[in-house]
Amino acid sequence: MTSSTISLTRASGWRDRLGDTRRTLLRNPLVLIGLVVAGIWLVIGLVGYRIAPNDPLQQDVRARLQPPSESFRFGTDELGRDVFSRVLHGARITIPAGIAVIIIGSTLGTLIGALAGYLGGLWDEILMRLSELFMAFPTIILAMAITAALGPDIRNAILALVIVWWPSYARLIRGLVLEIKTKEYVEGARMVGATDAYILFRTVLPNCVSPAIVLATLDIGNAILTFAGLSFLGLGPDPSSPEWGRMVSIGIDFFDQWWMWLYPGLSIASLVLAFNFIGDGLRDIFDPRTKK
Amino acid sequence: MPFYLYFLRRLLFVIPTLLGITLVAFIIARAVPADPINANLPQSALNDERIIAAFRQKWGLDKPPHEQYLTYMANLLQGDMGVSIKTRKPILDDIRQFLPATIELATFGIVLGVLMGVGFGVVSAVWRNSLVDYFVRVFALVGVSFPVFLLALLGLSVLYAQLGLVAGPGRLSITLRPPPTVTGLFTIDSLLAGQWRTFSDAISHLILPSLVLGSYVSGVIARITRSSLLEVMGMDYVRTARAKGLRERVVIRKHALANALIPVVTVIGLSYGSLLSGAVLTESIFAWPGIGRYMFRASTSQDFPAIMGVSLLIAAIYVGVNFVVDLLYYFLDPRIRLA
Repeated sequence: MTSSTISLTRASGWRDRLGDTRRTLLRNPLVLIGLVVAGIWLVIGLVGYRIAPNDPLQQDVRARLQPPSESFRFGTDELGRDVFSRVLHGARITIPAGIAVIIIGSTLGTLIGALAGYLGGLWDEILMRLSELFMAFPTIILAMAITAALGPDIRNAILALVIVWWPSYARLIRGLVLEIKTKEYVEGARMVGATDAYILFRTVLPNCVSPAIVLATLDIGNAILTFAGLSFLGLGPDPSSPEWGRMVSIGIDFFDQWWMWLYPGLSIASLVLAFNFIGDGLRDIFDPRTKK
Repeated sequence: MPFYLYFLRRLLFVIPTLLGITLVAFIIARAVPADPINANLPQSALNDERIIAAFRQKWGLDKPPHEQYLTYMANLLQGDMGVSIKTRKPILDDIRQFLPATIELATFGIVLGVLMGVGFGVVSAVWRNSLVDYFVRVFALVGVSFPVFLLALLGLSVLYAQLGLVAGPGRLSITLRPPPTVTGLFTIDSLLAGQWRTFSDAISHLILPSLVLGSYVSGVIARITRSSLLEVMGMDYVRTARAKGLRERVVIRKHALANALIPVVTVIGLSYGSLLSGAVLTESIFAWPGIGRYMFRASTSQDFPAIMGVSLLIAAIYVGVNFVVDLLYYFLDPRIRLA
């Protein structure tokens, strides 16, 4: 996270590069695979619950712990619930949660970073020291502590992750704002009498959007992984919920019934891998060090 | 700049950070829960007025927040992090008991991760855009994308249950007794006691969980090693070394690698944090009696004081490791010495 943040702040001329970006990205086979797999998961997240053959919460004690078969493609769990249907429904929990963390976290971080960079002085000092405090903790440890304090449920897990997530965006955007606010067109806007709010939101921030989006793309796999980790630890949605991380952690007690943990685990892995394939392609383009 | 000056300067940066984490931990522990008494005392104690009064008294809960923080710090400096709801023991005693197992695992994990990561990164940079490079890059992405709990379960079911190549969960086979405690690390203690069978058994138990932990770290390290080495190999002095007629192997080993590894050291320090976080997930699956499993159990049973204690400890270790990395820079990067 840190290395990409640094290199992103160094890069300039985003507009020129975005044109080449699409072409270069589509030539990279890993990016293509990533786009296809992530696309499939997004579709499953949107409509998967409609094609699920069974109710993900429907228990059937007679059909418990059955291996994958014609009627239960991914087998059944310890309460006789259909793992396939649960995995399909789980996409509606994990994917939106990860995306929500990134969207809220990056927006909050962008605003804080923009204020710090634009106002400068004492504000800058306070906000940046604050962001360092949050970065002094390993991500999931701080998220665990916050969720445990707020009480474990899905909304608090997302809130905890947002609290952990904003600092890297704040630092990136602050760096960019510091650079942009010395530009002539910002001076120009000030000379014709534009207000601070206008300058910040209409002339400075629009130039920060693309780097923030690139960082968000690099980050989204990580957010999903951390959310699944929290949920695995019992700090996410309630135990009956078909959340993937939670399904894996229940599956540990049924180690020999591999289908209980393998399918939800592979769902997380394939989704995160897809996003990381896309992110890696973007990084190649925007990281000046790997340029020929 | 002489070393002691550099050391003191770095130390000056660490102290506010350490104070900062205690402040964050204090806020989470005392201010965020709707009712800190409810969150910190076991259910059975909530009916007992005396216990509640004692708790309030000890943490100064009837005083204003800044005084509460001072009380919190005073207790903390005496090693008092509160009492675990689950084990009913002081958190510090629990940590003391479980920490050696985690240190042993984390050390093996970081060593494996660094060996694999640097090795793969160098190979990948030297044969850039070859099939090997491609393979390493995919491996690195898999390493950072697969949840550690899935890797752990896959490793257990394939390498242990199916192939029987490594030992299963736990630190030792049940037929063996732990070596006499000196350091708490079974590998070192068994060597000191001359118990070879215990030693090899302990190593066999360490392989799988440290591979799982190391895989994430190695993915991160392979990636940064590759890009750092590629950057250095484009430098003029590398071209000069080649132009002198040095063999490629000498150029890479003597000229390029020494400089390319400087950023890698930083990443190793940063990875230590993810290693400790990963330990929470890995230890719970491998029944590894370390602070990770302690925290896992604390979080599944809502043992709030234990969660806060371990978080604070892990954050402090993390800050400590990054401090050591900063100190290493003094020796790795001559520019600091000359500045």
